Amino acid sequence: MAIDIDGEAAKPREVSAVRMEAVYKYYGEFTALNEIDLKVERGERIVVCGPSGSGKSTLIRCINHIEKHDQGLIYVNGTELDHQRKNIDAIRRDTGMVFQSFNLFPHMTTLDNCILAPMTVNGMTRAEAKDLAMHFLTKVRIPDQADKFPGQLSGGQQQRVAIARALCLRPKIMLFDEPTSALDPEMVKEVLETMKKLAEEGMTMLCVTHEMGFAREVADRIVFMNEGKIVEQAAPEEFFNHPRTERARVFLDQIIH
Amino acid sequence: MSHFSPAACVDYFFNYFLMKGVLVTIGLTAAGVVGGLILGMGIALMRMSPNAVLSGVARFYVWFFRGTPLLIQLVVIYSGLPQLGIKFNVITCALVGLILNEAAYLAEIVRSGFMAVSPGQREAAWALSLPRSVTFRRITLPQAFRLMIPPLGNSINSLLKATSLASVISVEEIMRRSDMLMQEHFQILEVYAAATAYYLILTSVWDAVQRRLEKHFSRSTTAKARRAGAKAPTAQTGLEARA
Repeated sequence: MAIDIDGEAAKPREVSAVRMEAVYKYYGEFTALNEIDLKVERGERIVVCGPSGSGKSTLIRCINHIEKHDQGLIYVNGTELDHQRKNIDAIRRDTGMVFQSFNLFPHMTTLDNCILAPMTVNGMTRAEAKDLAMHFLTKVRIPDQADKFPGQLSGGQQQRVAIARALCLRPKIMLFDEPTSALDPEMVKEVLETMKKLAEEGMTMLCVTHEMGFAREVADRIVFMNEGKIVEQAAPEEFFNHPRTERARVFLDQIIH
Repeated sequence: MSHFSPAACVDYFFNYFLMKGVLVTIGLTAAGVVGGLILGMGIALMRMSPNAVLSGVARFYVWFFRGTPLLIQLVVIYSGLPQLGIKFNVITCALVGLILNEAAYLAEIVRSGFMAVSPGQREAAWALSLPRSVTFRRITLPQAFRLMIPPLGNSINSLLKATSLASVISVEEIMRRSDMLMQEHFQILEVYAAATAYYLILTSVWDAVQRRLEKHFSRSTTAKARRAGAKAPTAQTGLEARA
């Protein structure tokens, strides 16, 4: 650990939120991630895009060990993801994940979905966990759906519950895996607005999304992937207006109508 | 040989001797279900295990017990095993046979239930860093169980009737006691009509229990149907306003 010679020794040196070094992931013969180097600073908002099958979901799913990387180093908030249970759990407590298919627990109410982890992982009492859950359900603007089951909610509402559920563990990093891809068009906005709000509050975010409007408005950096590789990384303006690679130009042509 | 007597049917139905046989049938079924579920759950877990030996043993078990008639299994346990010096009383023989056989069927039902739970559910639990025991108890098991109820109900219905095979090794359940009454009085139709009525009553009661269970465990989805009419999801915020 480097000591700051200017006298701010009490403050530990800033650790990157996520650091990936030469990460590889294989599915049999197929190379899903091919020498990924990526650094995400705290408070940074990253949008990962690229054609389907380019490895973007695999990339963020490796960060919280939903998928196990085969080679290379991954550090999350300074903790090495080395397949040890203790470190995996620590990293998962630090990261919240939102899935394309919501993955709410269908047999539990919205509230129970939100309080399960705070109670079992953080040892909160039911009352404490409920207060916390209501705080975040209010934040995603659905406090009055607390006693409903996921099946009674619209897709947009379910995804916002999923965001609240992830926030209940007070994560330092939020991972979004195509959070709006399974939504009806009229519900995309409410989820994106919720994500924007999180971004404004300084949450570190990695989002796999095809919502280029969101990327333009919110992202600090676009990471463009193709065939398991990071092909291009740039600020949104630069990426959208002056893509450096032919592959990115073709991709942008195809998705921006 | 006498003529058919409806009154005798009623007499046999209320025959104390036969009624005790009904209790034995219920007991065999209940023990078969409980024992079969416990053993079946273990075999299902073995079968789903990444360990090739464990899953191989489980696969063999299911293959063996589903591939041979329960009747032979019972006879072998009762009459064959004593040759090897293994001897149980009749009731134990029947229980062992029924449980071993039922477990093979239930193992497959349990396994299919677990496999039908979406992988996204487990991933969500991992992402929330829920401990494995909590994930199993609170997430996978309840969802798998709900999917298991219909085939489970079917299997228990079959087991209830299969207990009649235990009559062959002289367990005095409904079938055996009907045989004994029949041999004593030669009122074949009358005796078996009463026995049939008991089987129908038992399977009907089980049907009702199964419906209640299905309703109970699908309450999250039925609640949807019930409340959707009364109160559709409403927009509370500007964010949610839809055309």
